[in-house]
Amino acid sequence: MKKIAVLLLILLLTGLTGGCWSRRELTEVAIVLGTGVDWMEDGRIRLTVQIARPGAFTAGSEAGARGREPASWVVSAEGRTIQEAERYLAMKVPREIYWGHCIILVLGEEMARKGTGMITNFFQRDRQPRENIWVMVTRGEAKDFLETYSSLEKTSAQAAGFLERMKTGYSVQLWKLAEMLASKGIQPAVTAVEVKEAGITPEPDREKKSPPQKQVGLAGVAVFKEDKLIGWLDPYETRGLLWLKGEAMKGVIIVPSPGEPDKAVSIRIRRGSTKILPEYDGEYLRFMVRIRVEGDMVEQQSREDLAKPEKIKTLESEMADELKKRATAALEKAQNEYGVDIFGFGDAFHRKYKKEWRDLKDRWDEEFSRAEVNIAVEAQIREIGLLTKRAGVPEE
Amino acid sequence: MVNFIKPLRARFPGRGNHPADQSKESSLPGASWKEQVLSPDLETNLKQIKAILDKCSDVVYREFVFAQNEQIRLALIYTDGLADKTQVGDQITKALALEVPMAVPGQEISKNRALEFIKQRGLCINEIQQTSKLRDVIQAILSGDSVLLVDGHDIAIVNGTKGWASRAISEPEAEPTVRGARESFVETLRTNTALLRRRINSPNLKIEVFKLGEITNTDVAIAYIEGIVNEKLVAEVKSRLQRIKVDAILESGYIEELIEENPWSPFPTVNHTEKPDRAAAMLLEGRVAILVDGTPFVLTVPNLFVEYLHSPEDYYERFIFTTAVRILRFLSALVSLTLPALYIAVVSFHHELLPTTLLLSIAGQREAVPFPVFVEVLVMELTFETLREAGIRLPRPLGQAVSIVGALVIGEAAVRAGLVAAATVIVVAFTGIASFTFAYSASIAFRLLRFTIMFLSAALGLFGLISGLALIGIHLCSLRSFGVPYLSPVVPMTGIDLKDVVFRAPLWAMFTRPRLIARQNQKRQEQGLKPEPPETRPKG
Repeated sequence: MKKIAVLLLILLLTGLTGGCWSRRELTEVAIVLGTGVDWMEDGRIRLTVQIARPGAFTAGSEAGARGREPASWVVSAEGRTIQEAERYLAMKVPREIYWGHCIILVLGEEMARKGTGMITNFFQRDRQPRENIWVMVTRGEAKDFLETYSSLEKTSAQAAGFLERMKTGYSVQLWKLAEMLASKGIQPAVTAVEVKEAGITPEPDREKKSPPQKQVGLAGVAVFKEDKLIGWLDPYETRGLLWLKGEAMKGVIIVPSPGEPDKAVSIRIRRGSTKILPEYDGEYLRFMVRIRVEGDMVEQQSREDLAKPEKIKTLESEMADELKKRATAALEKAQNEYGVDIFGFGDAFHRKYKKEWRDLKDRWDEEFSRAEVNIAVEAQIREIGLLTKRAGVPEE
Repeated sequence: MVNFIKPLRARFPGRGNHPADQSKESSLPGASWKEQVLSPDLETNLKQIKAILDKCSDVVYREFVFAQNEQIRLALIYTDGLADKTQVGDQITKALALEVPMAVPGQEISKNRALEFIKQRGLCINEIQQTSKLRDVIQAILSGDSVLLVDGHDIAIVNGTKGWASRAISEPEAEPTVRGARESFVETLRTNTALLRRRINSPNLKIEVFKLGEITNTDVAIAYIEGIVNEKLVAEVKSRLQRIKVDAILESGYIEELIEENPWSPFPTVNHTEKPDRAAAMLLEGRVAILVDGTPFVLTVPNLFVEYLHSPEDYYERFIFTTAVRILRFLSALVSLTLPALYIAVVSFHHELLPTTLLLSIAGQREAVPFPVFVEVLVMELTFETLREAGIRLPRPLGQAVSIVGALVIGEAAVRAGLVAAATVIVVAFTGIASFTFAYSASIAFRLLRFTIMFLSAALGLFGLISGLALIGIHLCSLRSFGVPYLSPVVPMTGIDLKDVVFRAPLWAMFTRPRLIARQNQKRQEQGLKPEPPETRPKG
């Protein structure tokens, strides 16, 4: 009997003494939404965090009465390592810095040129930050990027996160960047972003018209060799990269109207797939890339009647050509200008030729630059939308 | 646990329930008459009865002479209010004092033949018994029967004249349904057995009556269907009932607490219902019902946990809808048990579990709140429980006022004043509503355990929450109700009975009775009752 009583007492005490261990009230944490890292000239790292101001996130009447209060607070600190900078940051932030809901990690251009590996290490090693942080490189300084405002979202970090989630650009999360850094068959590439002028928010009083605001926007792709930034792809080439990789088969292709070449027709890609088929005879390296896409015609500038099988056929071949052109543009830039395989041809080769890969992997980028790549595109138009003819087209 | 309490129990012997400790007779004075018998002399008998029923102002003594032979004196004793006055007056007094000579004119009855004659031709009462024991006579008088004493005979005639003012059969208050019988059990045992018999017109429906309670002498009936019920179960119910030696049985809850197997468990292992249709359904599944005089709540055993998540209506509505509603009810049960704890755990430990936008929204609401989330939830839960209790206790016209004030206090003022976050109010309110979706007696257990789990999750986060759930799960697995595992048919798994747990099979597919309850008579109905369109359709 006594034993049981003692046991119960011990159980109770362990519950109470150990109680609330690692408890962290929401009002005691500073929720980081976005992180930026810049390389300073003295060799130190500047860590900038965008911290949510929770008061601005309530939908209640209180917040409404106070007007729209700023939703974020951007603060930075310097240090030799991320962790050191974070500790200096903690001297200014009155709450515990909480990384669990960090949405984006922005690298300043200089930082990216110095190497990303030393930055991503902390975010992978620490328990709080997630693997699915969107990683991006900004043209300019990360601090400036995080200090922007968003007219639509509450904070610019969220805006950038949503832009990435839309897969309009080449969206890369931390885990994927880590994968690309580890693999020899692919070189990393992440979204490039920049601060852009993005519209205005009109006020009823025209005199009070707000000035054009600086907001976040996508700007193509940042190309890396190993973990160092070596160049950029513009938005036009970015699509080519995406199609070659078979990721996010989206986008609009503009082709000339078959009968009136000076007028354009827009085709929106609906879905598609890409297959990379390596061929290697011990000496000569060749890749067959087979891209299959389906699209819908969504816009027509010309006056001709396109709802005819032969015209559709012509459009399809034009679409295939255009797609190939853009893929080739991305490919050529990677092969000739930067000399890095950002497409994962190496991985495809690895999968097919395991033994040969061992010899090639250490000089893969050179091999890739020399390789012949044949792109074959098969395009199909599925729908022509709700109209068959453009309004006002005279009968032929 | 139980062992731990034992020394306590020894210290308070009055509370313990050791039949051996108690003297066989109750502690009432003057219990010596119980073994006595009547004497042939009317005066002696009357004197004795009057002595026993001294200061019982509601007992009526009516002495008169027999019309057929004025030498024979009669005495009628009944309790005013319990016996039906018109019956007593018309069919006993009037019959014997006036009407007998009209029916049997000119017949002189000797003193010796009087008793027999009165029984055969004198009384117009259908239900008569005779007894010579004083104890039975007293019992009969006090239970509403009227006792006729005939001078010169040591035998009393007990006339079944029970008839007191009782509540009419009304709608079930605690178990309302949209569809199904609107009748509810009432406080009168006879009416209740009649309600059962009306639903089950079978000679196999057996209703046995006992008297329990040393002072109250309450009628307690057990009902079961012979041929379906497990005989051992009936024997077990009887033996557990006979064990009861308490002075009073005022409600079926008294019995419930004295016959359950796990008195320390927060979960009830004896079900109760006030709906005769539900009780009938229970009997038809092989259960035993215990009806207690004086309460509309009928106990049914054995009791499975899932019964609390079922409603009698489940079998009246079509099965697809029923299944959907049951899923909702099971989820509600889970919500009513865990939602506040989950909220506490997530908000004070596991911020990463929430979507960013939701986290920020909650963080924004909590920004001005001065208390940790656990205190906040605890205060709100206690407020809610207070309101609920007040709502039950308050006189009905005031209930409305409480709910309005409560809603205002909780919903508006607390949030406005920044004392509680709106999210907390939502969590607490939703938890409260969810706990109303299933049977009240189980929701009480859930309400209690909710607080325990809240403490655990406030101390240990999700780990505490899950440990709490695991402990409750283990405990539930260990419970039994009259030998049947509480969680069956899920634990232990009885495949065929899963037809009626979350999923409610169509009635035409339920051709067996619950296997662990109606062991010996499994077949409920023929197979192949599924309705189908006629094979030959008219061509057209």
